[in-house]
Order: sequence, then C-alpha cells, then structure tokens
Amino acid sequence: MGLDRRAFIGLVAGGAVGTLFTPIPWKLADDAAIWTQNWPWIPRVPRGEVTFATTASKLCPSGTGLKVALAGGKPIMAYGNPEHPLSQGGVSPIGASEVYMLYSPSRVRTPMRKTGGKFEPITWEQAQTELMAKCKAAGNKVACISGDVGGTAGEALSAFLAKVGSAAMYAMPGEAGPAAAGFKLMGGQGRVGFDIDNADCVLILGADIFEGSGVSVRNRKAFCASHPLGKEQSAKFAYAGPVRNHTGAVCDAWIPVASAHLGAFALGIAWHLLKAGATSDAADMADFKKLVESGYSPDKVSKLTGVDPEVLAGIAKNLAAAKAPLVIPGSEMGQGMGPGSFIAGMSLNLLMGRLNKPGGAVALPELPAVFPGAETPSEILARDIVGYLKNVGEDKTAAPEVLFVYAANPAYGLPEAAAMAKALEKVPFKVSFASFMDETAAMCDLILPNSLTLERYDDVATPYGSAFCSLTLVKPLIAPIFDTKTTADFILDTAKKMNLALGHDSLEKALKEKAAVLAKSDGFVAKDVMPWQVMAGKDKPAYDPAGLWKDLQAGLAWVKVGQVAQTGLSFAAKVLAALKPAQAELSLAGMAPQRAGTPATGLPAQCLTAIPDTDLKDGASIVRLNAATAKKYGLSQGSSLTLSGAGGACPAKAHISENVMTGVVAVPMGFGHTAFDAFSKGKGDNFLKIMTASVEDGTGVTVWAGSEVKIA
Amino acid sequence: MEERQSNKAGGVGGVVLLFLVGFVGALVVGWWVFPQVLFSQKTQPIRFSHKVHAEQGLDCESCHTFAKTGQFLGLPSTASCAECHPDETGGTTDDEKEIDKFVTQYAKPGIEVPWLVYQYQPDNVFFSHAAHTGFECTTCHPDVANMDSPPPYHENRLSGYSKQTMKMWECERCHASMGTSNACYVCHK
Repeated sequence: MGLDRRAFIGLVAGGAVGTLFTPIPWKLADDAAIWTQNWPWIPRVPRGEVTFATTASKLCPSGTGLKVALAGGKPIMAYGNPEHPLSQGGVSPIGASEVYMLYSPSRVRTPMRKTGGKFEPITWEQAQTELMAKCKAAGNKVACISGDVGGTAGEALSAFLAKVGSAAMYAMPGEAGPAAAGFKLMGGQGRVGFDIDNADCVLILGADIFEGSGVSVRNRKAFCASHPLGKEQSAKFAYAGPVRNHTGAVCDAWIPVASAHLGAFALGIAWHLLKAGATSDAADMADFKKLVESGYSPDKVSKLTGVDPEVLAGIAKNLAAAKAPLVIPGSEMGQGMGPGSFIAGMSLNLLMGRLNKPGGAVALPELPAVFPGAETPSEILARDIVGYLKNVGEDKTAAPEVLFVYAANPAYGLPEAAAMAKALEKVPFKVSFASFMDETAAMCDLILPNSLTLERYDDVATPYGSAFCSLTLVKPLIAPIFDTKTTADFILDTAKKMNLALGHDSLEKALKEKAAVLAKSDGFVAKDVMPWQVMAGKDKPAYDPAGLWKDLQAGLAWVKVGQVAQTGLSFAAKVLAALKPAQAELSLAGMAPQRAGTPATGLPAQCLTAIPDTDLKDGASIVRLNAATAKKYGLSQGSSLTLSGAGGACPAKAHISENVMTGVVAVPMGFGHTAFDAFSKGKGDNFLKIMTASVEDGTGVTVWAGSEVKIA
Repeated sequence: MEERQSNKAGGVGGVVLLFLVGFVGALVVGWWVFPQVLFSQKTQPIRFSHKVHAEQGLDCESCHTFAKTGQFLGLPSTASCAECHPDETGGTTDDEKEIDKFVTQYAKPGIEVPWLVYQYQPDNVFFSHAAHTGFECTTCHPDVANMDSPPPYHENRLSGYSKQTMKMWECERCHASMGTSNACYVCHK
C-alpha cells in the first residue's frame, strides 16, 4: 500500500485530531500568552524580607526625613519618616524619587575625563592625580558652585577652598541667599526661619511655601494642623503673588501682586500698621516711618500694584488683630528675589514685634563647624552667584583656573543661561561632582560622580525656612551601585594628599564629631516632643547626649529651638529707600512644582505621569495667561506664541487660566533639559534662559523674579 | 490505473488505519515528546537533603520562616544556613562534600545560593502565606521531607516559569471549595 493523497490526508487528519487530545495546542496557547508578558524591560518585584531603614533626602531641598523600604536589602520605596519633625510621614515627590533615581539612566557610573570633546572612563586614582595637579597649578584661583552649603559636606568643600586661599564659594540661587543677604543688611545675626506652626495669621509674600520654598513638607503639615477637617481653623493664611500656585490655591485668600511689587505691597501694609500705632525700637525707625508714609500710601501702592486699597487695609487689619501674625517673604519660583524684597517683607515682622517670638520669624544660630576654616552657610549664601558669573562672562572678574561644581547645575539653573554658559566656558578646568549627566557636567573636563543619598554618609542641617535648628543623619543603606564615591570623602583624601589636611579622614568621622559637639549644646532629640511645641512653651524633653549618634542613626533629628538675640537690628531704611519697583507691561512668573525635580536631578522618571497637560503637552511647554492678558495679545486657548527676554526666546502654547494675574505670564519651570536622559530631554523649554538678570537698586544684588518678557 | 484501483481496494481501511496512526502518533508526541521539549531540566546548585534535616527534628517553619511583619520569607538566607554550617567538614562522603561546597562557594564569600524555586508566582499575584497557614505545607508543595535530593526543576522554555507553578484555576478551585472570595483583587492588588 503506497501513501497516496487520500492516505496522507487521513494520516494528517488523524494527527490533527489526535493533537486536540494532547496538551500541545492548549498549553502552547497558554504559555504563549504568558510569554508575551515576559519582556526584559518589565520591572520585577524584588524578593526578600521587607525591612525599613531611615535616612533623609539630599535631593529634596525641604530636608525630609525618609523611611525607606528594602526588599532583601535592596531599596524599593521611600516614604516620609513619621518620627522626623520635617516630615511627620510626609514626603515630597523628589524625596520619594530617591530610590528610583538610583537606577536613573543618566547616572554617571564612573569617573570620566573629557578628551577630544568626548568623555572617557578613568580610574579614581587617575582623576585624583589630574585634579591635584590642576589645583596645585591654580593656587588660590579655585572656585566652587554648590547646591548644598548647609551640610557638613559643603563645609568640607568650603574648608578646602579656605586651605588653598580662596573665598570663591558660591551657592546656587534659592530663597536662602537673598534672605541671608537681606538679614545681613538689616544688621541681623543668624539665619532666618519662620514658625508657621505657632502663627495664627500668616501672610505669604510670593514664597511657594507648600511646594518648592523652604521646608515645604513641614509647612504642609503645619497648615493641615491649623485646618483640621470639619473643625474650625486655627490660623488664617493669605497668599500674595502673581499666580495662584499650589500655595495660593489652598490659602484662605489670594491677592494678585506682581513679583516685582511684593516689596512695595509689604510697605503698603506697613503704612497701615504705622497708622495704627505700630512701632519698633530699631535705630532707623524714624527713617523707615518717613519712607513708608511718604512713598507707600494706599493710593500709591494701589496704583503701582493694582491691589485695592481696601484689600490692603483688610490685610493689615487682620495682621494687627492677630495674636501671632507672621509674614514670609519669598519668590513664587523659589529664586530670583532680591534682598530688598526680603527686607520689605521682614520689616512687617519687625514692626509687629514678631522676631524671635513663637509663631514669628526667628533668627537661628549656625551649627558649629567641624572643619576649621570653613565659612558659615550664611556667609556663602549672601554671595551673588549670578552677578559673579555675569562678571566673569563679561571679563569684569577673572575666571577661576579650577571650578568645582557640587550638587548644582548652573548651566541650566541660572537666569540668562546662555550668558552663564559663556562664563563657565571661560573656566579652563571644570570639575563636576554630579551624580547625573546634567548640562553642567556635560561641559566639564572631569566628572567625579557623587554617590546618591542612599549610598553615602551625609547630613541635612537646618534647611532654609525651618523655625528650629536641626541635624539629620544621612547614612548609606546600600553600597554604591556604580563606581561612585562620596564627594566629601574624595575631597578629604585629595586634601590630605596635597598636604592640606582638613582635620578628618572621612565624612562619617566628621559627622560623628559634629554629633559629639551638638550633644554638648542646648538641643534635644525630637521624638515625643516636637520643637514647635517647645517653642510654644512645652518643656524641652530630657535626652541622653551620649546616645545622640545612635539616635541620629535611628533616623531621629537633633533639634534646637534657641534663637539668636539681635543687637542693632534695623529696617535697612536706606536700602528700602533706594528700591525702585520695576514696571513691566508683561512679566514672567515661574511655577516650580517639585514633581519637575530640581536643576540637579532633572525630571524624576516616576513623576512624568503626574505632569499635567497644562504644563507640558506633546513636548511643548504650556504657559498660562488670564483672559484679559490673552485678549491684549490676541491669544486664545492653545495659541502658539514665543516668549522672548534678554537671553533668548522660548516657544510655547497658551493656556487661559484665571489663576494668573493680568499682565503676567506664568511659566512651568524644570523643563527644557538638553542633558540627562529620555525622561528629561526634549520636554518643553527652560524659561530661566529668558529671565533677565538685573541689579536690584539699593542692594546691588542680581534679581530675576518677575522679569519683563515680550510675546512675539 | 491498476495501482489506483489497488489503493481504492485498500481504500477506506487504509485511510482509517493511517488516521489511527496519525492519531496515536499525535498522542505520543503530545503527551511524551512535547513535555520533554517544552521543559528544560535543571538541578539545584546544592543537593540539599530535606530528609537529613527533617530527621534532625526540623520542621518546615524552622527554615522557611515568617518575618515579624507576617511576611513569608520563603527560602532561608545563606547566613541562616551558615549558622549551622559555618565551616567545611573536610569529609569525604557525598553529603559532606555537598556541605563543603555550600561553605566554600556561598557561606564564606557571603553569596546567596541561587536556589531554584519550584512555585514562584508571577509578580502580578499577591499570595499571602500568612493567610494560608491553616493548611499543611504539602497541600500545595511537594512533600520533600522524605527526599534526600531535591526534585529536578523543570523550566518552561516558553513562559520561563517552573512546571510546578500553581495555575490560577487551581487557586480559584480551592477558594471556591473553601467559600473564599474569588474576586480579582483578592490576589491581584
């Protein structure tokens, strides 16, 4: 019998029918479905025992204490530490990103040297040899731009500069800088903080205190405590600023005031307070009174700011009637404010006698330094980084021979970015200690990657805005994933090899000494009793100073509520008299939500889904104008426009929103990166580049908040 | 023509016969060859004898413990094994050589043993051992207490899962029989 067609069909049919009685079709279909779920890029759930450890966020400026979950020793999630006074269980988007950022594609994985325009990996030994040679040749012409001057690591860098004879240590812009400069001009001693917890009437001048300004997580907790659900609120909050941002949106009132006019607005309130009999024993009280009465009458202020005189009077009345009023000056985008505006805001606290009082502004002492020769954070913060770089760019100031860039991204995060980049290019040898390949790192000759927060020792010391001194330990929870080092350790080792020993072999040892020094001071460990409760009169809890290091390692914060008594504090009336509020037809207001990261982090990948299409849509930046402004420029919802300023132009699309005051265009900050990774690049534009850096009259410090812009 | 007629003559019977040949052949391939091809066979990195340990009086929970949080920790860590096996025995028996292999390759360098887990569930399944402690371990797991060598691990070449991975219908059937909810969110959080 041969195998003819019919027989073959029979065989095949038998095979086919038989197959249906086997697992082949059913198992293959099932397994194929499972196979489609097995792409290598799908994140896998880490196995192992879930444990928790504590540290604090270094990427987030709010100093949040973190509670990190680890699976099998591998960090998987960061939460707020419920026991930490600056967190109380809350966490910012940047703090929450600390775990994910460990695996960011833009992390610099090894030391690198630029050769022929391209980066090549080198060893730490090679990098150190080259750095030492450059530093020796540069002598005292070494400068540093730092995004973290408050902590012990910043102290080490400052001490290193002092050893080589340089005082060119600069801090990246924020609100702490103008506050330090302004308070210094007022004759103040110490660092300014704001006791929101104990205040019953808070007037916020520009500062986005629930988002990017100061200890925002702590501020949110304080706000929530004063606004209990279903119960009567214990404090009133009013926000004055050009845009109803996240802070303005939750406050009891929003008063539209342009950034450039916040100082005049404050002095307009001062006019009412003076009229009601407020006074101060400051030496220049008479000058201040004369200045305010002559230049900031309700009519004049109303004409300048557009604020109804009755609104102004109402705010003053509320402040005067409150038991614990507080005024918080700042900028809606957390930078660009001048010391003059700060002084104007602080003058209200002074006039109401609200300095160093519960619920008022407080002057905090600096924490003791453990590196001899290091400058205090206030000294560094008071310097004008933008003015310095502008002068370098224009050859008015000699460029340093060697520039260190630590926890900062000045090529992206400063106004008139093109001018700043030009200035940076004049520095012959630039060293970046960036953890990520940011815009500045890409310009540098040497990149020496810093280990990230969860991989290193560090500390968080009294973040700006806090009403109490604090120190939180940052400790490594895992070994560095890549070939990175703690910058401070590298600097200490380099200094030692250059015979410039700074006094400690490692940052860990320096931190232990700092803990030992703090243990002798008049602080305590915040656990059952929080510092704002002590400020309100509660007894300070007893604690064992010998156990401070152990407490710090457990994630608890050392705190101190002592304030610096002021002698010779004034209104800086001469400075205020020289202020000339700028008049702009159209001004910029920056919105800097924490979900957009910081200049040094780029856009945290996990935050992308939280960015609304009113900030970014189809890769384009969305800017907000109210209907009146849009009408004036012939714009409507979705219109394309180009914003231009001193440093260039930015294309964008319009979104009509009545949360922006007339004559202002609100722009989202944190976008337009040209470095980092796919999560940050090619998304919108960086509006800092069109912000004009101008000099504030009276203080000579560079300002760019509320800078004028044109629509093309 | 003659040949065709011959086939016709053998016609229906021949076709039926070949149909049966195909049918049986498919059954053989499907039930015997296919599993051989679909699953690769792997052996554990250490020939761990559950039997020896059970004879020492250890029960499952002695090594497969729960954390204080209630989380089932699954396999013991190298460190916990090393509590009883910190050093080489220097012995020459198969068991002693296997212990020495563990000590030199894993315990002393501090490396976790890459055990092959027979019943890992996919990441999208939340299975709580704590919620199932009322059952005997052997209700779901093979009874290895009497095995001197771990059973071979069969890995599905296509899906990547172990052959012993419990399928969803098995979970659902047990839940249904116990009157426990089979709602999606019970297992898929």
